Order: sequence, then C-alpha cells, then structure tokens
Amino acid sequence: MTQTALDLKDLRKDFGKTPIIRGVSLSVAAGERHAIIGPNGAGKSTLFHLISGRFPPTSGTVSLHGRDITRLSPFAINRRGLSRSFQVSNIFPRLSVFENVRCAVLWSSGYGYSLWHLIDGLSDVTAKVEQVLAQTGLSQRRDTPASVLTYAEQRALEIGITIAGGADVIMLDEPTAGMSHSETSGAIELIRSVTAGKTLIMVEHDMSVVFDLADRISVLVYGEIIATGTAAEIRANKAVQEAYLGTPAGAA
Amino acid sequence: MISTALRGRSGAIVWILAIGLALLLPEFIPSKAALTKMCLIGIAIIFALSYNVLLGQTGLLSFGHAVYFGVSGFAAIHIINLIGRLQLPIPVFLVPLMAGVVGAVFGLLFGALSTKRHGTAFAMISLAIAELVAASSLILETFFGGESGVTTDRSLGPSFLGIDLVSQSQVYYLIVGWGVVSAGGMYAFTRTPLGRLALAVRDNPERAEFIGYSTRMIRLLAFIVSSFFAGIAGGLAAINYEIMTAANLATAASGTVLIMTYIGGVGYFYGPIIGAIVISLIQLSLSDVTPAWLLYLGILFIVTVLFSPTGIAGLLERHLPPLRAGLFHRLIPSYLLSGAAGLVFCAGAVALLEMNYHVTLNAHEGPLLRLFWLTVDTTQPMAWVLAMLTGVVGFFLFRKTWPYVANAWSDVDMRLRESKP
Amino acid sequence: MLEQLAISTLNGLIYGMLLFMLASGLTLIFGMMGVLNLAHAAMYMLGAYLGYQISKTLGFWPALFLAPIALGIGGALLERYGLRTVHPHGHIAELLFTFGVAFIIQEAVQMIWGRIGVPYRIPAELDFPLFRLFDTPYPAYRIFLLVIAVAIFVGLFAVLSRTRIGLIIRAALTNPGMVGMLGHDVPRVFMLVFGAGAGLAGLAGVIGGPIFVTSPSMAGTLGAILFTVVVIGGLGSVPGALVASLLIGLVQTFAVVLDVSLSDLLNVMGVNILRGGIFDDIRHTTVAQIAPILPYLMLLIMLVVRPRGFFGSRDV
Repeated sequence: MTQTALDLKDLRKDFGKTPIIRGVSLSVAAGERHAIIGPNGAGKSTLFHLISGRFPPTSGTVSLHGRDITRLSPFAINRRGLSRSFQVSNIFPRLSVFENVRCAVLWSSGYGYSLWHLIDGLSDVTAKVEQVLAQTGLSQRRDTPASVLTYAEQRALEIGITIAGGADVIMLDEPTAGMSHSETSGAIELIRSVTAGKTLIMVEHDMSVVFDLADRISVLVYGEIIATGTAAEIRANKAVQEAYLGTPAGAA
Repeated sequence: MISTALRGRSGAIVWILAIGLALLLPEFIPSKAALTKMCLIGIAIIFALSYNVLLGQTGLLSFGHAVYFGVSGFAAIHIINLIGRLQLPIPVFLVPLMAGVVGAVFGLLFGALSTKRHGTAFAMISLAIAELVAASSLILETFFGGESGVTTDRSLGPSFLGIDLVSQSQVYYLIVGWGVVSAGGMYAFTRTPLGRLALAVRDNPERAEFIGYSTRMIRLLAFIVSSFFAGIAGGLAAINYEIMTAANLATAASGTVLIMTYIGGVGYFYGPIIGAIVISLIQLSLSDVTPAWLLYLGILFIVTVLFSPTGIAGLLERHLPPLRAGLFHRLIPSYLLSGAAGLVFCAGAVALLEMNYHVTLNAHEGPLLRLFWLTVDTTQPMAWVLAMLTGVVGFFLFRKTWPYVANAWSDVDMRLRESKP
Repeated sequence: MLEQLAISTLNGLIYGMLLFMLASGLTLIFGMMGVLNLAHAAMYMLGAYLGYQISKTLGFWPALFLAPIALGIGGALLERYGLRTVHPHGHIAELLFTFGVAFIIQEAVQMIWGRIGVPYRIPAELDFPLFRLFDTPYPAYRIFLLVIAVAIFVGLFAVLSRTRIGLIIRAALTNPGMVGMLGHDVPRVFMLVFGAGAGLAGLAGVIGGPIFVTSPSMAGTLGAILFTVVVIGGLGSVPGALVASLLIGLVQTFAVVLDVSLSDLLNVMGVNILRGGIFDDIRHTTVAQIAPILPYLMLLIMLVVRPRGFFGSRDV
C-alpha cells in the first residue's frame, strides 16, 4: 500500500469575509504526479500558499508524510521535505545562477547558519550545484546574474532552486507559464527528469503538459475540488465540462 | 557582493599593497597631525565596513549603528579603568576584542527587537533605539558620565612585548593591526554560508524562507556580526581618544557612517573603505577651510543617491572593462569636455554658497572673502552676479556636453560586447 | 490645579492639531507612495523660516499664502525630479533620498539664516488674549492656529471623500498599480500629493513658527514625533492621523509639565527597592526629562507590537 505524501483535510481560507478556499480535501500518494487545474481565480496559487506555509489556513489541516505541518513557517515545512516554485519567478536577482542554486542546497547539505565554513572549499556543495545546473541546462550561464537571464532560463532556474535541496515533495506553480511551444516541451522533459522518484504536485493551465505528465488530476473551481481522477475520467466528467465550457444555452 | 577586481591573484596583490601602504604611511608623512588623522580614518574604515554588513550585504538600512560603536567604546573605557584599578594582567591592546563582544551582546539584545521588522519599519526602529540610547546616556550618569563623558588612560594596562600604547604611533599600528584582522574577518564572513545567505535575504527575503532558512534568524545573526565589528571600532576609538562622550552615540554619528558607506559603494566589499577615507578627509580638511563643508557633503550624498547609486566603487568597477580592453582612451575626450563644463558650474555654485555663508556666519570678519585664489568683496553685487552667471553658464554647458559622454560609453559598450567570444 | 489641567489640555489639543497638519500630509505620502518622507519636518522648518522672512518684508498674511505655495511647488519638483528618479531603485534608495534632502535643507537653512534661531513673532493683529480660562488669559493666536487646522481637516476630508481627485487618491492608497491601469496619471497624482504634503508642512511652519521657537533644531525632535503619529494612526489614514496627533499632542504637553520623578511614584506606592549606582540615576529621572524621548519609546513599541497602527490597512 503506497504511503500518502501529502494529505489535505477540509482546508479553508478566508481573506477578511471572503472565502477563497472552501473546504479542500485531497490525498496525494508518494511518487504520484498530481496536477491541479481550474479556471482563473479558482484559488490554485492560494492553495499552494496554504500548503507551503505562506499563509495560515482559516481551518483544516495539512499533513506531510503523516505529520501535521498546518501552521508551520515556510522554512520549517521546507526542512521537512516539501519545496515549491512560484508562478512569477522568485529568484535572487543580483546573485549569479551558481549562487542562486548554491543557497538552495545549503540547508540540506547540513551547513545551517554556519559562519565557520568557507563556502568555496565545500566540495560537496559545489558538486550538488553543478549537478543541478547540468540538469536544468544552465551550466553555461553559471556566472550570469540571475536578473539578466531570459524568461525561459529564469523559469528553469526557478525549478532548479526548488529541487536543489533534495526535497521529496515538489510543488510547481505554473512552471510553463508564458513559454513557447518548444520551450514547453523542454520544460516537460526537465520536470520529468528532476522529479523522477519524487512526489509532484503541479498547477498548470497548459493541458498538453497536464495530460503528458500527470498520473491524476484535480479540478479546482471557486475554491472547491469538483473532481479528482485520471485524465480520461476528468475529460469525461460533466461537472468539469460545465466549469470550463459553461452550460449550453437553453439547457439550464 | 560582486567584487570583480579584488578576487584571485590580482585581488590578493591589491590587498597586500594596501596593507603595505597603511604600514608605511607614517614614514611617508611623518607629521603628528597626519598621524592623528590616519588613526581616525582607520577607525572609520572598520566602522563603515561593519555598517555595510547590514546595508550592502543583508539589505538592512539602519539609522542607529553608532549605538554599538558608542556603547562598546564606553564599555572599553570602563574596562581599561578597571584594568588599571585592579592591576589586571590584561594588555590594553586586547580591549578592542572585549569591546567587540560588548557590541555583539547589544547587537543580540537590540537586534532581536529590530529584526522583527525590515525595510522602513526596521529603519525607524533603529532610529528610535538610537535616540533612546542617546537620551539615556544623559540620564545614566554612572556609565555614561553625563555631559562630560568618561575618560581613561590607555597606558594603564601592563606593558607587553614593549607595547605600552603611550605613543600615538603605537596606537596607529594597533589600529592597522585590528583593521586588517577586522577587514579580513568581515571578508571571510562574506565567504561563509551565513554570509552568502545574507545576500540572498537582501535580494529576496521571501524566497529565502522557502529554501529552508528563517529570514529573521539570518538578519539577526548578520546584525550581531555587524555590531561585533562596530564594537571593535568603538574600542579602538576609546583607546585612541581616551574619552567617550554622548556625541559618539548621537544620530549624527550614525548618519555619518551611513553617508560614508553609501558614497563609497555598498555593492562592493571595498566600497566602505573608500567612502570612509574620502569622507573622513573631507571632514578633517574641508572643515577648516569652509563652513559650508557639511552642505557640500549633503550635496555629494544626494548626487550619489540620484546619479550614481553604486557609489565610488561602482564607478571604478564600471571603468575596469574598458581599461582591461584598452578602450579607456575613447572616453577621455568627452570626459575632459564635460568635466571642464562641470567644473565651471561647480565653481559658480561654490562661489555663491561660500559668499552666502560668509555674509551669514562670518560677517564679523568683514566683507572680504578668500575664495580659491581670489579675494572677493561680498558687498559688491557684481561679485554675486558673476558667480551666478558662472554657475548658470556652467550648467548649460554641462547639459550640452554630457551627451558626448553618453555616446562615448555606448560606443565603448558596443565594442566590449563585440569583442566577447 | 484644575486651571493648570484645563490650560494644558487646550495647549495639548492645539499642539495636536499642529501635528495633524503635518501628519496628514506625511501619512498620505507614506500610504500612497510607500515613501516615508524623512524631510517632512525639515519642510516644516523651512516653512517657518520662509514665513519669518516674508513677514519681515511683506507681512504675515502674504507669508501665510506665499510660503506654503513655495513649499508646495518645491515639493512637487522634488518628487518629479528626485523621488521619481530613485523610485526604480527601491524603498531604501527613496528613504536615502529623503534623508539627503532633510540633511541639505538643514544645512541650507543655517547657511541663509544662521545657526541661532530667528525672532519670528506673533503678528500684532493676533497678539491679544482672546478669553480668560479660569484666571489665565489665553492667547488668540493659538485659537487662530486651531481654526486653521480644523479648516485644513475639513478641507482634506471634503477633498478626499467628495471630489474625483480624492477618489483617485484613496484608490491609489490601496492599489496604485491598478489605478494606473485604469488610465489615471498616477505619477502626476503622486506629484500632487507630495506637493500638497509639502505645502501643508510649510503652512504648519508659518503658523507654528511664532509659538514654537524658529531655530535650526526645530526639525530634529519633531521628526520622531511625526513618525510616531503616522505609525500609531496607521498608514494612509487621515482620521487615524487626527486621533494619533491629538493623543500625542496631549501626552507631550502633559509630560513636559509634570515634574514628577520615578522615585516619587515609587515612594507614593510604598516601594523602596533598587538603590545605589545606576538605579539611582533611573529612579531620579523626572517625567519632564523623559518627555523628549517619549515619542521614540512610543514609536518603538508601536512598530514592534502593531506596525499597522490603529487605523491602518497596511503594515509599515
């Protein structure tokens, strides 16, 4: 029986009096690739923020590998093995690509807040960074300041930073947003390779990416999950069709 | 920190030359007055470097850094007095280290409070703490000595290997020694995991949380490191001046180190060193020449903020690629042209300001003012008209000639891009 | 005793209204543009000095109009050519710019008018006792200040709540980006607000100068008090600024008047601990001694405990 990597129980979030997430329950198995899709404004990014600790939920619980992480700070959650990317590239603009990734491997390499080690001599850190750079195809740009990268390169760096720490639950928020067709296929391969053997939860709008990568899909509409299942099941689901296409005129 | 020039072998050479210069300077300029100035500059360098750990490295703007300098200095005075009173076998040249520890302790105390916030709120908290400490310095007379401060005698401690710190010369070498140790320590800090993470927090504090680090903790630790070295500077000041007063804690002192560090350049490790030297020289020398020096300092600061936010170090670094590629000569003609126009403008502006100060503050000296190599009669309207004209003409000439500089730079930049593989 | 209380209360309220004239502009600038104008108190000082200078040549009433206008224009130009240039470099650069401006105004004022204060007096037309409070005559000029300040408050309220530009300003307070998207010239609105804030500061200076000594040191302590008011009242909240200004005006006025020391208080409570050395220093501090630093203490507490103040919608 596969273990549950991430478990959401009746998660709710209100901003002031406005409910944004209205009771989301979801179970993602270890090693599963799970996509969350839904119309704009459904609350997908907010859901990510709740899971990763950016906002505290109004009620409900989040469990990672069976342990409650509901009200933990983002860094505490990250240390327990959950790492997330951002929809708008959230990198360290004045640092080089190499430095960006290096910062992301430091905690998992066990160096904590050390001021006793000289970082240039830490060969284990350097090796990990080189590996991530190779995986994301950014080795040639290692000394470039991150702000100067092209958009696709920044998205690749964003993914690189997310996976560099070796977390086993990876959450990607619209990783292919704004990419061209060729860039997207490259991104799909990148995501597939870097999340091999890990649990992946992905928010996506691009259906080709979703159907290519995802084992299961959940559809989020107005803060509620209206359907969860395989690609075929979702495609055939009436409620999903209505949410995306609306009810035919005269049929209501 | 992006320090392109000073890494690797060429970097090491520059550092060794700088240290050599510092050690040999008293030989080149063997005057007592110069030695005193050099001591002051040395202390300012350490203080400014410590400030940049906060500002340039961690992205925290503090208006109250003098608190850690001052309180540690006062502590140092009391420690030296204690050494003398109890005949303790602690050489005074170790006192800066103890002052550093005091700085770090207060850094922990006040830092824990300050780092609860960042940005503008942090800046205001630092200002509030600075004012509160400055005010309490007048109330807590036992520690701060009230209006007249506290004094000591640096020769109180035991003599060790011939070091008794009686002569100013010995104090100078003490400052150089601690300066090298401090600068080395702070540079090493930039190469530690915590040091690199501080840069990450500066760039994107939110993202740092999502890669497993508490932004608050990083800021607090950087704050403690910063106040430790500020404490060393304070301890050296206590030894050098043998007196500490409330003025050392004042917000004016915090403002000065801010200006020094920023004008020097916050994005480069050596920026604050340049800033400390330049601003200290202005403070020491220009203040004798004209009462307008503080205004000039303010104008220099605003000009830097508006037009050259990377500071002097940034400007130097900007010129390195053309220099290395042998393209520097392409900039010289436009620089000369625009520079001349700029000088005309400055001459007119300076003349106006000097005449103004003379009339307002030094009227008792009579209507004549010594300006550059001229003697100006401030009662003559012609003098004012001339000054104003010079300024206005210079301004328009500068505006006309600046595009040449911009063009020269785009030409150089284009060539640099083309020559890259 | 009751007389002292009444007079101090009235003084405190009037001081509070003066603070409001300054804090209202500052909080709008801060709330809207995200910039804490460190030069605001210096603009107040400049207003006082200009008021003095113009009063000397043209009279008080022309000064009342000309000085605020001069500062308003100056403020608008400062925003247009200064703040706008540094805005892309982030909040720290903006703070440093206003810090530099404050520095320069401070020096320039001393350059033009000298390092000692100037004898800026209450104009003869307003220098008479308006009424008697218990047995003490109360000066008409202070009531004049009160009237002007109330008029400013009413005017601000009317502009913000009933005019189109006021609506745009209030919208820009919560979401400047969106307001720009809707087609409004947000940079121009910023320039207007900054200029208006500077003008109000100037007006406060012209009126406040005669009561509260016009000297180069007037900007220093006032700055902290203003920041405290804005933080306590909450970013961008004009009603918050009013409440906080009155509160702090009263606290400051009463603190200066009270000549009670901490040891007096402790004795009254029958507490007899902490003697000797440093504790004696603390115990013998009077409230009057602490008065100048009370704003900093309040600022510190507020920033650490509740940075959005009482009425603010955003954190500092």
